[in-house]
Amino acid sequence: MHDISGLRPSGAVIALTGINLSLGRGAARVHILKDIDLHIGIGEAVGLVGPSGSGKSTLLMIMAGLERPDTGAVRVAGEDLGALGEDALARFRGRNVGIVFQSFHLIPTMTALENVAIPLELAGAQDAAARAADELAAVGLADRRGHYPAELSGGEQQRVALARARAPNPAILIADEPTGNLDETTGSEIIDLLFASQAGRGTTLVLVTHDPILAARCDRVVRMRSGRIDGETSRAPQGASVP
Amino acid sequence: MTGPSRPSAGAGLALTLRLAARDLRGGLRGFYVFVLCIALGVMAIAGVGSVAASLTDGIAREGRVILGGDVAFSLIPREATAAERAFLESHGRLSVAATFRAMARAEDSRTALVEIKAVDGAYPPYGKVVLDPDQPLAAVLEERNGAFGAAADPALLARLDLKPGADIKVGQATIEIRAALTSEPDKIAGGIGFGPRLLISEDALRATGLLQPGSLVRWHYRLQLPGSAATEANVSSVVAAAATQFPDAGWDIRTRTNASPSLEQDVDRFTQYLTLVGLTALLVGGVGVANAVKDHLDRKRNLIATLKSVGATGSQVFAIYLVQVIGLAGIGALPGLAIGAALPFGIAWGLGAVLPLPIAPALHPGVLALALLYGVLTAVAFALWPLGRAHDVPVSTLFRDEVANDARWPRRSYVVATVLVAGALATLAVALAHDPRTAAIFVAAAGAVLVALRLIAALLMQIARRLPHARSTVLRIAIANLYRPGALTTSVVLSLGLGLALLVTVIEIDGNLRAQFMAALPERAPAFFFLDIPAAEAGRFDDAIRRHAPAAALERVPMLRGRIVAANGIAAEALKPAASAAWVLQSDRGITYSNEVPAGSRVVEGQWWKPDDQGPPLVSFEKRVAEGLGLKLGDTVTVNVLGRVLTARIANLRALDWQSLGINFVMVFSPGSFRDAPHTDIATLTYPGGSTSAEEIALLKAVADDFPSVTAVRVRDALDAVGHVVTNLVLGLRGATALTLVAALLVLGGALASGHQNRLHDAVVLKVLGASRGRLLRAYVLEYLLVGGATAVFGIAAGSAAAALVLTHVMNLSFGWLPGPAFGAAAGAVVATVLLGLVGTFAALGQKPAPVLRNL
Repeated sequence: MHDISGLRPSGAVIALTGINLSLGRGAARVHILKDIDLHIGIGEAVGLVGPSGSGKSTLLMIMAGLERPDTGAVRVAGEDLGALGEDALARFRGRNVGIVFQSFHLIPTMTALENVAIPLELAGAQDAAARAADELAAVGLADRRGHYPAELSGGEQQRVALARARAPNPAILIADEPTGNLDETTGSEIIDLLFASQAGRGTTLVLVTHDPILAARCDRVVRMRSGRIDGETSRAPQGASVP
Repeated sequence: MTGPSRPSAGAGLALTLRLAARDLRGGLRGFYVFVLCIALGVMAIAGVGSVAASLTDGIAREGRVILGGDVAFSLIPREATAAERAFLESHGRLSVAATFRAMARAEDSRTALVEIKAVDGAYPPYGKVVLDPDQPLAAVLEERNGAFGAAADPALLARLDLKPGADIKVGQATIEIRAALTSEPDKIAGGIGFGPRLLISEDALRATGLLQPGSLVRWHYRLQLPGSAATEANVSSVVAAAATQFPDAGWDIRTRTNASPSLEQDVDRFTQYLTLVGLTALLVGGVGVANAVKDHLDRKRNLIATLKSVGATGSQVFAIYLVQVIGLAGIGALPGLAIGAALPFGIAWGLGAVLPLPIAPALHPGVLALALLYGVLTAVAFALWPLGRAHDVPVSTLFRDEVANDARWPRRSYVVATVLVAGALATLAVALAHDPRTAAIFVAAAGAVLVALRLIAALLMQIARRLPHARSTVLRIAIANLYRPGALTTSVVLSLGLGLALLVTVIEIDGNLRAQFMAALPERAPAFFFLDIPAAEAGRFDDAIRRHAPAAALERVPMLRGRIVAANGIAAEALKPAASAAWVLQSDRGITYSNEVPAGSRVVEGQWWKPDDQGPPLVSFEKRVAEGLGLKLGDTVTVNVLGRVLTARIANLRALDWQSLGINFVMVFSPGSFRDAPHTDIATLTYPGGSTSAEEIALLKAVADDFPSVTAVRVRDALDAVGHVVTNLVLGLRGATALTLVAALLVLGGALASGHQNRLHDAVVLKVLGASRGRLLRAYVLEYLLVGGATAVFGIAAGSAAAALVLTHVMNLSFGWLPGPAFGAAAGAVVATVLLGLVGTFAALGQKPAPVLRNL
């Protein structure tokens, strides 16, 4: 299980309070996120849905410490992200947050195994290769470990990306349109793997999607519109606290 | 997460190296220009350094041969006294030689200036004289049937149309040419000769009757220490004993480890200039490095963001790519080092037989390490800026498309690191230079040019941005291309500007040197110098010249030789002159005395003395030399003339026009100082309005007939000799400059190629929207013309300014701007820009839209 000793037993693993963010300068400045309050519990699966430009991906970036809000507090896995410097944030991400991108973002000059091992290597794990091999096997790619991304199909690349995100055993998995570049069958396999990982390891899963079927599999669906939370639907609350 | 913690420093380095290596698995695409630029720059520096070190080694190894002994004492114009000679003979085997300039007359009355070397039976103490036909030197030089023998430089045989067996007259002696002199072991210690060598015996010299009091004969006493006693300690003790026992001898003492200081200094000085040109090649290459690294990191933006998304810190990203830069610099440096290291071996193998200097080819690890250091430091200095920007590539770039902000400065730590590495590079270049002042000027100028080019690029982009909307689509596209994100303006201006500035500098220096040494003589320049005019025959000489050249102006002054032994009571050896004035202390100098300010000079500080001043000795000093020696009005200078030591007070400083080719002396004494000293006169003869070759040759013959002891130097011939040396120097400079130009073209080509992807995108979109290929082509040509033209204007200005600085401040010559070659070079640069730019653009113009649009 994850080391989230900094959390209160009943606390949220992600707590966003009063988040506001504007991007751009001068006349081009746009208020992207407006007064967002969102708490997500341990092991919860949350889907962020909404039209393009509603602020879903930006909210995801705030949770991962990739973007700093103009106002508000971000507490993830017991850490106040606002208090961490750039390097500390990077290390924090390496330990606690796994990210799956729509475009996979594998490193083309590294094999599947090396791609999966890299977060472990960056964290100083001695057994990075062995653990990466296990993760690849867990997503059904044991025999593809020596292949480069260009030699893999889109679905296989996304599986490698998922294995990479899972490898450090993070408390939180975030996924930005994980099936957006995949056909329906392949996308469905990736979704199964994502939810299996969430259920098997008790990982908190936050994903952005336009796919209603995928959203329906989440414990909770948060709808966004014009930078605000427009409403949400809970399927089976598991320690989530909604303000 | 369980288990792992932050990696240790060692593990962190290993990880950095591993990731850097993995990242390069895709090959060196995009780095060819980087690698080639470093290779060229390192090759230039390693090659120049290796050849120079091999020459210096050769000169040192052959020190005994070049010097003709373990220790050499030279005197001018007197011979050693009996006591001095006894002292020398008591320490080893003595060989005596005398050198001087004289006129040789063939039987058909043709004359030639010759550099005579008169030797005794012990010559050469070391090395071998090579004669053609091969025969013992003693047999060649001996007296037979009333004629002495000689070996002559083949150039003399050709000039006077002589063959072995022919007789010539030198002074009053008849000399039979018995062999051609192919080589003499101690030739290079003598420096540049103004005439061909004539090797005769000491007895022959005495028979010429040219040994008059004050004749400018240099006597060389070479001492060969007995085998077991030829240690460095003994050499030093002989030198010390000579100084103690004969403190006022006024001789110039050299040892085998210091056989030809002026030659070594020339090698050092020329090495420095070539090294600076090599450094320019590296600097130009540095721009290529910066371009390549920036492009590489732009391409890797997503990858960097991915690394950061899985836990890499900005510092780790920086370290990964810094390791790559150092590794690539190493890869580039290796072939450069190999070729540079091989250069002295190649020269010795290919040119050893004709090279006038001894070369001892060897590997010089220190030189190679230095070239490697220059290469790596340059690469790092130029890469730090873009690398620093990589630190802050946001992970958010993976979620939304963002344009890299080229105007953003990296973090302060990277700016400081860039300044420190550039400072280290500059310090290295200055600290290791033979002449730190010149090197410092170069470093400052190079830095200023780089900054100026960056500003010009920014200015060009600003102007383009603010220009009113052009009605012509072609013009609008061309102007917009100058400032849009990812515009080529900065990289093209930097790549082209530095190379062009150097090219214009070299062309202007080259042209000025040629104009001043090899083309038309100054209008008021004399046609002849006459040396060794016996004081007693001066009046008769004047009359003869007036008779033979009634329209010409004769200027005659007394001439003595003396060396500065002290200034303000401080021994010359302890003085610390500026590099530009050190030559004055290196050996004896011509000095004169005069009632009036000599022609061609003017007093700029102090007062000239009263006519026929008989007070304490006064001296007038050339201003720049005085400054170089740290001397001012009222200071004292002690000179040794003919063994007589005289201290004079500096009464005034003069400015000289060295280029007038008139009689110029660094030191002019008051008339009372040397009036009774035995001396000869020196004279110049100037034809107002110029003279013909026929007039000059007729006068030469007349003087040779009437005054066999007077040496006539035809200025035209002397300048030819200097011009030959200048040609060789310029040739070396051009070679090094060619490397810089190759680097500049590579960098320019690389910069233009890096914009190829953008061109492809633009061309396809514009074609989809209805732009014809012809219209796009015109827009691109116009864009390249605008960038190339703006850079060319700067290149001409900066290059001309640099050339003026070098000519007037370093070479003490005048500068005349030569617009033709400068504009020619600039036009060439603009054409190169357009052509190289179009190479990539043509491919873009021919691109079918569909495949590109699918991948956009």
